[in-house]
Amino acid sequence: MKRGLAGTAALLLGLLVLALVVLFPMWAVLSSSIKLPREIIHRIPTYFPKSFTLQHYQKLLATSDFPAYFGNSLVVALLSAAITVALATLAGYAFFRLEFRGRELIYRMVMVAYAFPSIVILIPIYLMFAKLGLIDTRTALVIVNVTFALPFSIWMMRTFFAALPHELEEAAAIDGASLFETARYVLVPLLGPGMASIAVFAFVSSWTEYLFASVLILSDAKRTIPVGLSGIIGQYQIDWGLLLAGASLSILPVVVFFAFVGRFFVSGLTEGAVK
Amino acid sequence: MTPKTLRPARRSAGLLPYLLIAPALGLLAATLVIPIVSAVDISLHDIRVIGAAGPFSGADNYLRVLADPTFWAALGTSAVWVVGNALVQTLLAVIAALVLDQRFPGVRIARVWIILTWIVPTVVIVIIWRWLLSPSGGLVNPLLIQLGLIDRPVGFFASGPMAMTSLILINSWRWFPFVAVMLLAALQRIPADVYEAAAVDGANPLQRFFAITWPLLKPTLLVLTVMGTLLSFNVFDVIWLLTAGGPAGATRTLPVLIYETAFKAYRMGDAAAMSVIASLLMIGLAVMLLETLAPKEKRS
Repeated sequence: MKRGLAGTAALLLGLLVLALVVLFPMWAVLSSSIKLPREIIHRIPTYFPKSFTLQHYQKLLATSDFPAYFGNSLVVALLSAAITVALATLAGYAFFRLEFRGRELIYRMVMVAYAFPSIVILIPIYLMFAKLGLIDTRTALVIVNVTFALPFSIWMMRTFFAALPHELEEAAAIDGASLFETARYVLVPLLGPGMASIAVFAFVSSWTEYLFASVLILSDAKRTIPVGLSGIIGQYQIDWGLLLAGASLSILPVVVFFAFVGRFFVSGLTEGAVK
Repeated sequence: MTPKTLRPARRSAGLLPYLLIAPALGLLAATLVIPIVSAVDISLHDIRVIGAAGPFSGADNYLRVLADPTFWAALGTSAVWVVGNALVQTLLAVIAALVLDQRFPGVRIARVWIILTWIVPTVVIVIIWRWLLSPSGGLVNPLLIQLGLIDRPVGFFASGPMAMTSLILINSWRWFPFVAVMLLAALQRIPADVYEAAAVDGANPLQRFFAITWPLLKPTLLVLTVMGTLLSFNVFDVIWLLTAGGPAGATRTLPVLIYETAFKAYRMGDAAAMSVIASLLMIGLAVMLLETLAPKEKRS
């Protein structure tokens, strides 16, 4: 359909507002993280940096535990993503490909998991992990993050299985491929985008998780970025340069990760929503 | 998200499906089902010291919680929080989805990167907005003064209503692109010829929106409202890190109160009782929303 002049103007205005709303805060943080301290706190703000320094980054990497937080977050997020992808793909195959007793009931129960506020399980998980000796371990965070990502991931997998024709597996079976071979050479390559989008979801959920990481981790060396950075905020004198550098570096990995597989995630999200 | 979408499978596969779902179900049983059962158990005991078993106290914790005005205040705050977020996010998301539904150069990139605010850790969102909104050195106050909207710097977290509004806007900023992306899919399913027919019949854009777009968006909006209600009720970190429930408890939602009760006051039993009540409310609310708002669908 052709757009009139008014329509084009409205679209441009909408785009401009969206871009400002989403990008301006990000730009403000990134650009200010390389300003000299006096420019950051100057009464008249600058939208483009007039000074340039890497002192905040140097201070962050040399004098704070940020590198350790970063490493912990990365390990926990990568492990959570890998395990979530494996569990959700296996379960997805059963739910969306096979016939078995109780299928619908079990699927519903998995989805109901979302109705429970996560704060409900915080206390029991804390007590249970204390008994198992899992408090103050990164394993505890991986377990919790996979739990939270799993139901939504299984749900997202549905679209990707629906897009695969049953005939593919039947053809593979006729050609004498074993179940494992069918999975390895037919299903996994075709489910790649689905697995990538689950990986994004699990990685991002884990990378941003604060509540459980703040309760289950005690020692500073094992903190993840959200808890570690919040500790830096809490210190008596807020050092904005340091925090803005930390914020910039925390955005970086998810942006890089998202640049590669983000489009699969968004298509998984959109196609799942309408079916 | 509805079970009706499970399509009939071709063959019965014996034990295999159970083996495939076993790892996922095993994990969820250990980390969701057992803890939920155990939350109920804890809520019936007088537990003060972490790790030590307290004496059975029946409904005492529940009675104490229900008699506590702080609990009811937190419940009210949570209601304001959930409704505020639903309204702001839906409004922003519908606008964003309508914009992204158009054709323009770079639209594919825009549709992916709109979600940028959602992939950023909450603590970074907290840093961004605490800095942008701070009365000294933040960018928002000078901007509003320049635009002539305010005369002097505003304390965005100074009063209860201001703090609540700021929090709702910040949390909505984080989540609206996620909702927008899901709405976009529903928009794209609406065939273009419906709009063209309406345009030929002389319907203006506004009439087209309310006669065609809105009714067709409603089912998706319903699912998203239910999901969004559950998700935003749960939000703890943004509130805790920005206001810690203050000023004077004005932003102390139920999750914040539960956290304080459990990990600041160490009253595990009371906190568990509150969380059980919260779960029942949430499940009830989700069922009610789905039952009353859902269009009656035929099952396939």
